Amino acid sequence: MPPATVRTARTSWLTQAMTFGLATAPPLVFRDVDLKERPDHPDKRFQLTVEAGTVVVAIGDEDSGVGDLGGWALGLRHPPSGRVEVFGAPIGALPYYDLLLFRRRIGYHPVGDGLLQNLTLRDNVALPLRFASDHRQAEVDGRVNLLMDDFRLRSVALLRPAQANEEDRRRAALARAVALDPDLVVLEAPFDGLTSRAGQDLLDRVSRRVDGSRRAVFATVQDLVPSVRKTVQRVIKVADGAAVEEAL
Amino acid sequence: MTAVVAAIGRSGARRLSVLGGLARFALGAFRAAGRLTRAGRWVTLRVLINQIRFTALQASGLVTFLAAILSFLVISQTIRQLGRVGATDLIGTVIVVAVIRELGPLLTALIVVSRSGTAIAAEMATNRVMGEVTALEAMGIDPYIYLVLPRMLGAVVSVAALMILFDAVALTSGYLAAALSGMHFPRYSNIVLTTLSAKDIWLTLAKGLVFGAAVAIFPSYHGLAVKAGPTEIPQAVTRGVVATIVAIFVSSAIFVVIAA
Repeated sequence: MPPATVRTARTSWLTQAMTFGLATAPPLVFRDVDLKERPDHPDKRFQLTVEAGTVVVAIGDEDSGVGDLGGWALGLRHPPSGRVEVFGAPIGALPYYDLLLFRRRIGYHPVGDGLLQNLTLRDNVALPLRFASDHRQAEVDGRVNLLMDDFRLRSVALLRPAQANEEDRRRAALARAVALDPDLVVLEAPFDGLTSRAGQDLLDRVSRRVDGSRRAVFATVQDLVPSVRKTVQRVIKVADGAAVEEAL
Repeated sequence: MTAVVAAIGRSGARRLSVLGGLARFALGAFRAAGRLTRAGRWVTLRVLINQIRFTALQASGLVTFLAAILSFLVISQTIRQLGRVGATDLIGTVIVVAVIRELGPLLTALIVVSRSGTAIAAEMATNRVMGEVTALEAMGIDPYIYLVLPRMLGAVVSVAALMILFDAVALTSGYLAAALSGMHFPRYSNIVLTTLSAKDIWLTLAKGLVFGAAVAIFPSYHGLAVKAGPTEIPQAVTRGVVATIVAIFVSSAIFVVIAA
């Protein structure tokens, strides 16, 4: 995070969000979001609140629009209507550089893994710590070592993504997503190609913060295996553009 | 008639929009330097050193070879022609004005564009297609800081260093050509040093800065502008390299006007 003097000097949604103490607001809220370009009915709009410390999974078919939710939560893309709030701030309205700053409170695992191909798995995990924090090099190395151990990446640390297997790539991408110990983690198709055991293990690691408390996790998937459901507090089925609570 | 004017207007507006985008892009790259984090500086330095190794060190052989050949040919022919009218003293003007001031920077920049400009455009386009740029933005990392800034600094340092190398080799090779025509070193050095001025040194450095920035900015801009997919990568590389070559020639002409 930048020094406090920088933050107070800026005038943006982010400053307002921090000034008005919106850190206590729900980590992620989708309000009246249209998952389709032309909604059939106003009632068929997507509404969802992800509470602090909970793991929420949105499940839906490929054409349900569930795949757009992650990008909207990060402000990478904007929904055709409605609004997405992250810690109370309408993320789509933030200016670009404030958005970059704000995203340091959010971990993100894109579809695939989004790892940088010319870096080793270790350097990929270190990337947000080096470029999105003002930690010293020694602090970065210490945190990366912990993450490499926690996500069982020690033995493959020096491999490039193309040299590693799918599970190790996924582990590295998830370790990178939680490198800054964010309050909220958004995961897109995080369990694809993983065994149910590995999926459960990784979700458990991702939902734990450095101090041992639970962080908010929002995942979008097309399918959810029963063993992973054990770690999840809410499953939301995306049906015809609306969110339908599914029994666990 | 209206349709023709509209078509011309559309084309002009498109080109102006590209220029505006390029200007914004270049400004963004310069501004990124101020937002570099402490740990990021070390990584950027590492990327910068790699960039200089690839752009300057690995190209030094080719630059040396071409500078030696070019200068040798130009001075040999000039001495032969000027010797007929007893004006061999003018080789100082030829080597300084033609080789060091104009051809040297142009040729050096073209070598760097053909090697590193293509690589930068292809790498940036691949980064975009593979979703790596989006991943950087999602992590709160400014792609200018991570991708563009080290390459721009690397290209500026490399082009300036290669221009100095080119000049040194050209002067040495020019002496060899002059010596083969019977000119002794004291006379050659006297002729060259009399013609060479501080302005030439400043011009070389300024051209290194401008050409180097162009070598990084144009390919980066066109590489990062890729949207459709992998098939667009070769087109982005071509667009980036052609735009850089045009920019280098145009700015070279501007330098001539400024330095006149």
